[in-house]
Amino acid sequence: MNTPLGLITRSVLLLPLAGMLAGCANQKQAETIDRSVRSYFDGNYAGAAQELDALSKKTNEDFVLNNLRLGSSLLAEYDLDDAEAAFLRAIEVINSTGVNDGGRTLGAVLVDEKVKVWKGEPFERAMASFYLGLIYYMRQDYQNARASFENALFKLRDYNPDTPDQSKDVDSNFAPAMIMLAKSFQRVGRDDLAEANFRAVREKFPQLADLADPAANRESNLLLVIDYGHGPRKVTDFDGSIVGFSPRPDEEGPPPRPTVLVDGTPVRLQNFATPPVDLLALAQDRKWQSIDTIRAVKSAVGTGLLTGGAIEGVRGINGSGARQRTDLMVAGALVGTGLLLKATSHADVRQWEMLPRTTYVLPIKLPPGQHDVTVEFSDGQRQTWRKLIVPEKQDATYYFRMLRWNSGPFDWPPAAFAKAEQ
Amino acid sequence: MILLSVVGCSSAVRSGQSTALSGIDLVQMTDDMAMKIAGSSEVQQAIAQHGPLKVVVLPVENRMRAEVLPRGAAEAFVGRVRTLLSKHSPGQYVWIMNRDAYYSLRKRELEGVELGPPPDEINPDYALTAVFSSLADENAKKRSSFYVCRYELSDLRDRTVLWTASYDVKKIAVKGFGD
Repeated sequence: MNTPLGLITRSVLLLPLAGMLAGCANQKQAETIDRSVRSYFDGNYAGAAQELDALSKKTNEDFVLNNLRLGSSLLAEYDLDDAEAAFLRAIEVINSTGVNDGGRTLGAVLVDEKVKVWKGEPFERAMASFYLGLIYYMRQDYQNARASFENALFKLRDYNPDTPDQSKDVDSNFAPAMIMLAKSFQRVGRDDLAEANFRAVREKFPQLADLADPAANRESNLLLVIDYGHGPRKVTDFDGSIVGFSPRPDEEGPPPRPTVLVDGTPVRLQNFATPPVDLLALAQDRKWQSIDTIRAVKSAVGTGLLTGGAIEGVRGINGSGARQRTDLMVAGALVGTGLLLKATSHADVRQWEMLPRTTYVLPIKLPPGQHDVTVEFSDGQRQTWRKLIVPEKQDATYYFRMLRWNSGPFDWPPAAFAKAEQ
Repeated sequence: MILLSVVGCSSAVRSGQSTALSGIDLVQMTDDMAMKIAGSSEVQQAIAQHGPLKVVVLPVENRMRAEVLPRGAAEAFVGRVRTLLSKHSPGQYVWIMNRDAYYSLRKRELEGVELGPPPDEINPDYALTAVFSSLADENAKKRSSFYVCRYELSDLRDRTVLWTASYDVKKIAVKGFGD
C-alpha cells in the first residue's frame, strides 16, 4: 500500500474527513459568534468580549470582523484600552491593500467568496474608524481622534469612477465623523479648520445646522454619543447569488429623536437630536462590484446548465441504445457542472452585527459636577447613568448603547473604566 | 478542497501593503536622527560648553492626516533615539523622564526599571520632540501618504532650536480586486 497509488488513494479517502473536521470547526466558530452577538444585544458586553477574545486573535479571513465585534463589545463595556487595540488591529488590515491577492482572490472567485479576508462595506469601514476616533476623543487624545475621523471620512467619499484621481474635493456623506472632526479641531486649537468642517456640515446637511454650530460645541461640557437601533442586515436573493441590504429606511420609518433628562429634568436639545446618519440608507448605496458580476454570471450559467441537463436527461430517458447512453451522460455532466456553479455562487453575507441604525451626537452644557443622565426614546427604550462627571472646561464624553433590555441604571464609573484609571 | 487548504494558510495580517509608518521606518528614522544629533556641531559645542545635556523626551505629536499614532508608537519613535544616544554617547546626555511617563512607571512599580531622578527634582535644559505630519489621500484606486517627520532638540531656557532634522517618506498602496 506504500506505492504512489496507495498514497493517492489514502489522500483521497482522508480529504472528506479533513473537510468534515474543517466544517466542525467552522460550525463551532459560528456558534461562538452567535452567542457573542446574543450576549451583546442582551447588554452582557463582558460576556460577548470573552467569547470573541480568542477568535479575534486568529489571523484568518474573519480577523477584521471579529476584532470589530470585539471592539464594539469592549467600547460598550467602557474597556477603552482593549477596545482601542481591537479597532486598531482591524483598521490596520482595512487600510492595507492586497491582503486578498493571490490565493484568496482566486478562491473567492472559484470556490467561495467567504475565503476573502473580510474588510467590510464602506459604511462598516467608516464606522470602525469612527469608533476608534470616539475612543480617542473620550480619552481627550484629540490629535488621534482627528486622524481617525479623517480616516472614517476617507471610507465614505463619493468617487467619480471615471476620474478617481480627481476625487479629492468630493465630499464625504458621513456627517457624524464630519461633526466629530470639527469638534476635534476645536479641541486642538484649530478653530479655522473646525469652522470649515462645521460649515461643510451645515451646507451639506441643513437639518444638522444646530448641531454644527461652533459656539454650541465650544461651550458644551457634556457630549453624549448614542447608538440607537440595529444596522442593516446583508441578505441574498432566492438562490443566494445577489446580495443586498435590508430593511430599507422607508420600511422602518425615520429613527425617533431622543429625549435627555438630567437629574430628572428634560434638557432642551434644540435640533441636536436630529439623527446625523442613517446606516440603513447608507447601505443602500452599495455599489455593484466585479465579484457580484462573477457570482451572477456563475449562477446564471449554472441555472442554464441545470435546465440543459434536465432537457437532455428527458431526451435520454425517452431514447434508446447508444444514443440514450450518450444523452444521459451529457445530462449528468451538465447537471453536475450546473450544481457546482450554483454551489460556488453564494454571496458573502458576513457582517458587523453590532452596528446601530444611527449614532446621535449631543453636545450639552450643564453646571459642572455630578449628574444623573437618562436618554429615552418614544419606542420605550431608555438608559440611565448615575453620577456622570461633567467638567467645567472642555467636554466629558459618554457612550450610550441603547438596547431594549439594557436600561440600567448604571453607576459611573463602570468597572472596566475604573480599573484602567487606577 | 486543495485550493481551500492552500488559501486557508495565508494570514490576514502578514500579506498586504500599507501606507502607515512601519517598524522599518522606525528603525531607519531613529538611526538617522540619532546619528544626526550625535554628529551635529551645535550639539557637540553645547556639550563642550555646558557638560552633559539634561534632556527630557516627549512623545511624538501626531499631526498626520488620517493616520493614528497610538501612545506606544508615539513614545517608541523618540524613545529609540534616546536609547541609541545613551548607548553610543553615554556621558554626553542626562535623560530626564517626562512627568507622565515617570509617574506611570512608578505607579506600576516595575522591578528592574531605573526611573532616574524624579522630574520635580531636576529641571531639564533641553527637550527632544518630534512632530509627524502627512499629506494623505484615498480614492477607489489607491491610498497615498507623504510623511514629514520632524525632530527637534530645543533649549527650554531660551526656546531656541539647537538641532533639527526631518525624515521624509512617501508611500502608495494600490488597491486591487479584493480591496
